[in-house]
Parts: sequence; C-alpha cells; structure tokens
Amino acid sequence: MKRNTLVISSVLLILAAFAWAGWANWEYRKQAAERLLASSAQAELVPATGDSDSPLQFLPAILGKPAPGFTLEDLNGRKVSLAGYKGKALVINFWATWCAPCKLETPWLIELRNQYAAQGFEVLGVSADDIDRGDPQKLSDEKRAIARFVQETHIPYPVLIDADSISRPYGGLDDLPTSFFVDRDGTVIAAQVGLTSKDEIERNIKKAMGIVK
Amino acid sequence: MIARKTGMFIALAAALTLSFALAQAQQPLIEGPAHSSAKPAAVVFLYPEQITVPAGKPTTIALHFRIAPGLHINSHTPREEFLIPAVLAIPDGTGARLDSATYPPGADFTLPLDPKTKLSVYTGEFIIQARIVASPGEHMVEAKLRYQACDNNACMPPRTITAAIDVIGK
Repeated sequence: MKRNTLVISSVLLILAAFAWAGWANWEYRKQAAERLLASSAQAELVPATGDSDSPLQFLPAILGKPAPGFTLEDLNGRKVSLAGYKGKALVINFWATWCAPCKLETPWLIELRNQYAAQGFEVLGVSADDIDRGDPQKLSDEKRAIARFVQETHIPYPVLIDADSISRPYGGLDDLPTSFFVDRDGTVIAAQVGLTSKDEIERNIKKAMGIVK
Repeated sequence: MIARKTGMFIALAAALTLSFALAQAQQPLIEGPAHSSAKPAAVVFLYPEQITVPAGKPTTIALHFRIAPGLHINSHTPREEFLIPAVLAIPDGTGARLDSATYPPGADFTLPLDPKTKLSVYTGEFIIQARIVASPGEHMVEAKLRYQACDNNACMPPRTITAAIDVIGK
C-alpha cells in the first residue's frame, strides 16, 4: 500500500513538474508573440473613397505615427540614420533593381527631389535587393549591381541597402515600390504601395512639407 | 483494493488531463509566417506527381506550372539584365539530376504606364521541359523553380517553389 502511494505521489510530482514547465514555456511564448505583434506593423488596402470601385489605398499601421527609426549602410558602407534627417520632409522609398515599376517611378522621384530639395525635402531610397552578409565576395557583387543601377538611373539621393532588416516595422514590404511620406516632425503622413503617378507622389510630398493639407 | 484502484484511476486521469493541457500549450500562438499578409504563392506546380523513367537514360519530362491571375513572372530570358529570370534546378543528391531545361519563350508584356518598354514574361500556365537522368529506384525529387512575380503596378520579392515529383527509375 505504502509502495503504491509512493509510486502515485512520484508520478503526480513528475507530472506537476511537466505541467509547470509547460505553463512556463507557454507564458514565455505568449509574451514573445505579444512582442512580435507589437513590433509588427500591419497594413491593409482599402478603397480610397470608401467606394468599392475606387483604387485601393495603402493604409499601414504606422500612418500618423513616428516613422520607425533605422540605421542602414549606404553603398559606400557609411551608416545613415533616419534620425539624421530630423526637420526634413522625406520620402522613404523601398525599391529593388529587379522591380520594373520601381524603375519607372525613379525618374519621377529624382525630378521631385530636385524640385523641392531647396525647401528641405529629401528622398531616401532603400534597396530591397538581397544581400549576403555571410559572403564578402557575394556582398561586394550585390552592392556593385545596386550601384550600377543607381548610376544608370542617375539617382542623386542617398541609397541604402538591406531593406529586409527594417521591413517588419514598415509593414512587411510585400510589394515594391512602397513609399512612406514623412513630415518634418518625423510622422508618417501618407504611404503608397505600387506604382501610382507622379502627381500623386507630388501631392503627398507637398503634404509632408506642409505646403498643402 | 478499491482504494488502490481509485488511486490508480485518479493518477491516470490526472496524467491524461495534464498531457492534453501540455499538448495544447505547445500549439503555435501565431499561425504561419510571423504576421505575413498570407499571400498565396504567385506560382504553383501542377503536375506530374509521379513519373517512371528509364534509369540512367536522359528523359524529358514536362513540368506544368500555373501563375495566379493578374500576375506575370519574368521568362527565362528577360530583356533587361536586372530582371530575375525563371530558373529550374534540381538539388544534388536527390536520385535524379537535371541534364538541361527547355523553357517556353516569353510573351511580350508592357506596363500600362510604360507602353514603350517590352518585358518578356509568362502568364497563366506554362511548361518547362526538364531533361533528367534518374538512378535506379524510387526517388522523391524536389525540383526548385525560382521566379519573380509582378502585377501591373508592383512586384513581389523573388521566391523559390518546390515541384515535388516521385521519380521511379527502372
């Protein structure tokens, strides 16, 4: 009888230990999931005018909030921080060399940047091309390919690499081009996904600069 | 005796309840890739699922793929060097090797906002003729297709999908 009691008690004790371990693991994962959700910016596409036939408008979770900070390398290996552009109106333009619509949009951004630069406006191009930090030779080749594209398209504004490392707070960047318009206070006031039009981009740049509401 | 049986029953019931609770606790808290937009793949492999080929002899098989409506992918020979071509590969050590692949010609495609620039793309269903050499026996071959898809206004990052084929070399 005593032996049975001892066996049952031991089994229950072991199960209790397992239960505690399981609970602790579940709690840990729950907290990790909450952190992930908090750091992940959701975005959705909704009709711009509420009419189901109107074009879809990109509504990221960071709209109306401070642009998520970042420090990325440019093509020369220099660190560039978003914080360094405090006080300027910005377009953070995510693009890639393999993205034909991005190539079409780039000349518009260049023209608008040159037009409004004197009034405190800048474009930050962030390349979403794959980069392989584990292989110096590959990394060098990849950087060279991006640099060649930048040279061929005559991009005058800073081009940063490794968009993937900041994609989560910017809504995942599932489609390119994606642009975020940031006002002088650092707040995201508009966003666009996909190719729109030069007029649409200019309208948002003016909003970011405070020229129009 | 009854008390002993009751004790054993309680212990068993407790063990089962805890096991169930522990199994439940291990379920993922966020399903799928972390908070992705859960977009369906732009390209899916259709067939064949199983083929029988003469072992050691190069054999051509037709791999059928389908691209989601409204999307296109670059053909194997895109017109611009920065564009990513569709490329089929079979990893080493799978019991079959890819001797060569014949891709369909791309169709001309222009973006609505850039009617002057012609792209070479695939849309809808397309077939890649893969010439493979299989060793004797049955092999689960996971061929890989790398592609980069776009619609009229935006592009998605390049992806690689698996075409799983049961290859029997006889």
